Amino acid sequence: MMIWSIKGGAMTFFRKNKEKSREPINWKRQLHMLPGHLILLIWIGFTVCFIGWIFAASLSTSGEIFKGDTLKFASGLHFENYVKAWKIQNVSVYFMNSLLYASVSTILLVFICAPAAYVLSRFTFLGNKVFKSSLVMAMSIPSIMIVIPILSITTKLKLTGTRGLLIFLYVAVSIPYTITFLLNFFGTLSRTYEEAAAIDGSSAIKTFWIIMFPLAQPGIVTVSIFNFLGIWNEYFLSLVFASTDSKRSVGVGLYTIVAAMKQNGDYGALFAAVIIVFLPTFILYLLLSRRIIVGVTGGGIKG
Amino acid sequence: MKKNKSMMVLFLTPAILIFSAVFIYPIFRTIMMSFFEVKRPSMPTSEWVFNGLDNYMKIFDSSFFWTSMENILKIWLIGGIFVLSIALLFAVILTSDICFKNFYKSAIYMTNVISSVAMASMWIYYVYNQRYGLLHNLFKTLGFEKLAKIKWLGADMIFWSMLFAFCFSAVGYYMLIFISGIEKIPPELHEASTIDGANKFKQFFYVTLPLLRGVFKTNITFWSINAAGFFVWTKMFSPIQSENGTITPMVYMYELIFGSKIVVNTDAGAGAAIGCILTFCVLLIFFIFNKIIKNDDLEY
Repeated sequence: MMIWSIKGGAMTFFRKNKEKSREPINWKRQLHMLPGHLILLIWIGFTVCFIGWIFAASLSTSGEIFKGDTLKFASGLHFENYVKAWKIQNVSVYFMNSLLYASVSTILLVFICAPAAYVLSRFTFLGNKVFKSSLVMAMSIPSIMIVIPILSITTKLKLTGTRGLLIFLYVAVSIPYTITFLLNFFGTLSRTYEEAAAIDGSSAIKTFWIIMFPLAQPGIVTVSIFNFLGIWNEYFLSLVFASTDSKRSVGVGLYTIVAAMKQNGDYGALFAAVIIVFLPTFILYLLLSRRIIVGVTGGGIKG
Repeated sequence: MKKNKSMMVLFLTPAILIFSAVFIYPIFRTIMMSFFEVKRPSMPTSEWVFNGLDNYMKIFDSSFFWTSMENILKIWLIGGIFVLSIALLFAVILTSDICFKNFYKSAIYMTNVISSVAMASMWIYYVYNQRYGLLHNLFKTLGFEKLAKIKWLGADMIFWSMLFAFCFSAVGYYMLIFISGIEKIPPELHEASTIDGANKFKQFFYVTLPLLRGVFKTNITFWSINAAGFFVWTKMFSPIQSENGTITPMVYMYELIFGSKIVVNTDAGAGAAIGCILTFCVLLIFFIFNKIIKNDDLEY
């Protein structure tokens, strides 16, 4: 119970859910709900249609796409689109960059934000409230407000266009959200754990890492999933600070490909690139959707 | 519990340092910059020339600025009404007795986790395409020849096409917040109103809606932040050069700072001024909605 693994946590969510929905479906009552079902199904059907079509198109050729024969696969499945996108269009580079940025920043964020959130939620001190509200304020300010000064400093220090800078910035801009999310989470943990540990002679720092940090794991995992998704999909900072192609993340990379593809017209490879960018977040979502959906309203949002 | 000073310092310092370096200092410097003549973003502070409100005057004289403000207002207002009503409708359906709730919720929220660039590419190169696009084929099959011929990405439709695509992806998030708000309303209230003879619609308008005030405020706040940062979608819908139909303040600001086809001489000071105006608008909206919607008196 103390140590949750990602899978363990997700499994508990699923199990709870199954228990809830085990009562048999009352079909007569559902017939009454038909308009509701229809509205939702049309909306979802539309999404499924166009993502499905993009997937089909990624295995097709430009000629077939333009003739409207995408779903017929008359000339077979063109997996070489993926090879083209991955190698020639540089998607491999963008993909690895994003993977690096998202995973390293997510891990760093845990170690910077979890201790800070713990102290902010547990102790009252001068400036505690001010810091908390400035975190909330920071989340509402358009990112372009902070970009110009950072750009001028980093240009002076010759840091612009390095991977380290991008990771630093991703960590920095995600701090307000991560701390605010974890604040609520630590708030729900009982103080008796720390009191018991203090009686046993454990120092406060040790108590945090050995007892409170593992207890907060469900919250930490959830916020990390959001951070990972957010950084993976990030566009603006990468556009401004990754000045060379080899440092770009998938968002800006895909934008470059799309702009180039307009000229050379290889739509099969274009859609393959879209699918490659889309797939990691999609798979992550399929595995963790329950946890993500609970997490959206979990931290920082009071309604 | 005893306070442990060294632990507090150790645990808080990294977060506070990074936060100050990346938020507090840059924000003040950007505000300052909006009152100085600064040509390039990398110009050192010593070369800045104070010019009072000239940057703001320059912005107010620019037709691009007003077009971009008009666009962002339309995105915020029309897009907001659209997204929040659909989200509320879905939330009401999904908090009723409907089955497969979890499937519906996950499927609708899914578009939120996909990169906006990928989403926009799908809309532009498939849904809105003139020759093989989803809308074209759909309307053709249904027999609406006129609708099938509409150029969704033509100058007069591009804004609405872009707005719809943007809103479509956003709905899931606001829906989840509405759902959690509705689930927090105690069922007794609905039961009591049922006994009093209120039907579903009356219940919705007289019980559910008034109790969702706080949630509305949350959603409007998030929507405003989201709309103010409108950038990627414009870049995707008009990649080569900004058009009147799709330009937003963020994009115009970016072009003023880094240059583009329409802005030949960069002017970082004017860019900073737009940033300040935009931030001011967002804060003004928060302030107004905090005054209008008070949720402190809500207790269940």
